[in-house]
Amino acid sequence: MNKTTVKTLRDLYERAAALYGEGIFLKEKCGKDIVEKTFNDFKSDCHKLANYLLTEIGEKFHAAVIGPTSYAYLVSYFGSVSTGNPIVPLDAQLPCPDLCELLQRADISVFFYDTKYAPMIDAIKANCPDVKYYIPLQETEGSVSTEKIVSEYSEAETLPEIKEDNLAAIVYTSGTTGKSKGVMLTHGNLIDNTMCCDNESTPEETTMTVLPIHHVYCFTCDILLGLRYGTTICVNDSIMRIAMNLKLFQPTIILLVPMIAETILKQIKVASAAKPEIPPQMIAQAVFGGRLKGIYSGGAYLAPEIQNGYKELGIPMSQGYGMTECSPRITSSLFTDESFGDVGTIVKGCEVKIEDGEIVVKSPSVMKGYYKDPDATAEVLTADGWLHTGDLGYVENNHVFITGRKKNLIILSNGENVSPEEIENKFAGKDMVAEVMVYAEEGFITAEIFPNAEYFKDKSTDEINAEISELIKVINTTVTSAKTIRKIRIRNEEFDKTTSKKIKRQQTKQGDLI
Amino acid sequence: MFEKFTEIITNYVDVLPEEVTEDSRFIEDLGFNSYDFMSFLGEIEQEFEIVVDESQVTNLQTVGDAMRYIASIKA
Repeated sequence: MNKTTVKTLRDLYERAAALYGEGIFLKEKCGKDIVEKTFNDFKSDCHKLANYLLTEIGEKFHAAVIGPTSYAYLVSYFGSVSTGNPIVPLDAQLPCPDLCELLQRADISVFFYDTKYAPMIDAIKANCPDVKYYIPLQETEGSVSTEKIVSEYSEAETLPEIKEDNLAAIVYTSGTTGKSKGVMLTHGNLIDNTMCCDNESTPEETTMTVLPIHHVYCFTCDILLGLRYGTTICVNDSIMRIAMNLKLFQPTIILLVPMIAETILKQIKVASAAKPEIPPQMIAQAVFGGRLKGIYSGGAYLAPEIQNGYKELGIPMSQGYGMTECSPRITSSLFTDESFGDVGTIVKGCEVKIEDGEIVVKSPSVMKGYYKDPDATAEVLTADGWLHTGDLGYVENNHVFITGRKKNLIILSNGENVSPEEIENKFAGKDMVAEVMVYAEEGFITAEIFPNAEYFKDKSTDEINAEISELIKVINTTVTSAKTIRKIRIRNEEFDKTTSKKIKRQQTKQGDLI
Repeated sequence: MFEKFTEIITNYVDVLPEEVTEDSRFIEDLGFNSYDFMSFLGEIEQEFEIVVDESQVTNLQTVGDAMRYIASIKA
């Protein structure tokens, strides 16, 4: 099966088994041991799970899955979609009432859960009468688990036909404003995004997956690309253990969000300062396990300072841009790309145009719509398939540049439009500021700042205020007069954030004006 | 345990050992960010040969909270 005949997620892992067979698909820790699974194991186990579901549950159902990345999670996901039914990957950090609401809203009848979440099951059973089947991922006494199914069931002899435009997943976006929406992604959407770039990896590469698996960025770029290229995926079992696991698995490629990349960069700089006799490049390689070739960044704005910082350490960093509604990639870049300040080049098969400053895209990766929400769908998706991203930006020589979010635009009384992100990004790499949000208050551009406690240790409030005021003066010299920060608030608590660590824009203002 | 905690904390954030007290808050007083803090807990796991339950992490606001939590696991 060549890549052009891959139409569904089932085709993708069947192709992987045919091409890479006994190659290692996934490594994960199990107590003190590392368990390895091959591409053949994965195909066989997915087919067993599909057989169980079709035999014991029926032909039509909606499944959901919750938990950190694990082999059992992936078998549940792919085995379930191989029956031709959609799956809903849920955010493991959601509080129980929100989970119950999504299970109801997504019409879930089959619920796969990591046993870490077993304490919530009673509450879910009490609140979600339509969920009929509870399947723990790991062996559990008295339950039929994914692990038990793959050890006891045989593979399905035949599986139902799946078409490209059949629904594969409904992915609920966390969103910085408003109620979450269920993004309907088809098999064709996810496969198109998996195939939209070339030369990203090989079977010789090893990745370590650290991001939450319910995010389509992690799912597509770690898991689906791993299956496409035959790359070995190592599972980081907790964000607490990234440093330890980097040394254990020694990845050659890693996918990160900017916050993690920035923190690791700071740690490398601190370690280098403590040991000036060792070249910083060597320290950086040691931190990443010794074999790292490059970092892919996505999920949020990547400050050029971070990208440059890694470049100086001999680690290329490339970035992409996208959104759940686009499976997710709209742009991508390779480690060999030299451009800075943009978010990559437009991927194959994707058309991009700018309407009133907004990036609008059309591609086979674009979602079918929001689940049971035609009004919200109509707001972003035109009848002829153009998706309004809500992002502001421009395109130069096929490179996309982002300037802000349309819905966050500040419209001043003089009619000037100001993008708060454009101003917030000026604070990137400024050590004295831990977090910042920019908004309009009484018609004035206001920056609300959570100072970096480490930077200001032993400093009085007056000293902190004075230093931040000086910083704002410097930043104000780099913007036009309409974008000048006129008011500053200093808060003493972190901002409230979404589970994906993005600052929620709709929150009460805090801190005194200075 | 406190001395070991202090030694590990000073590897993550730029504070002097004498500035760390049981009442120090990791984020507000010591300057940890959320990722530093999780990495710190990973190192604590190795040092004390325990497994931290991620669902308990939000309750660990101060150095004292973390020490009491570790002690309760080891007990």
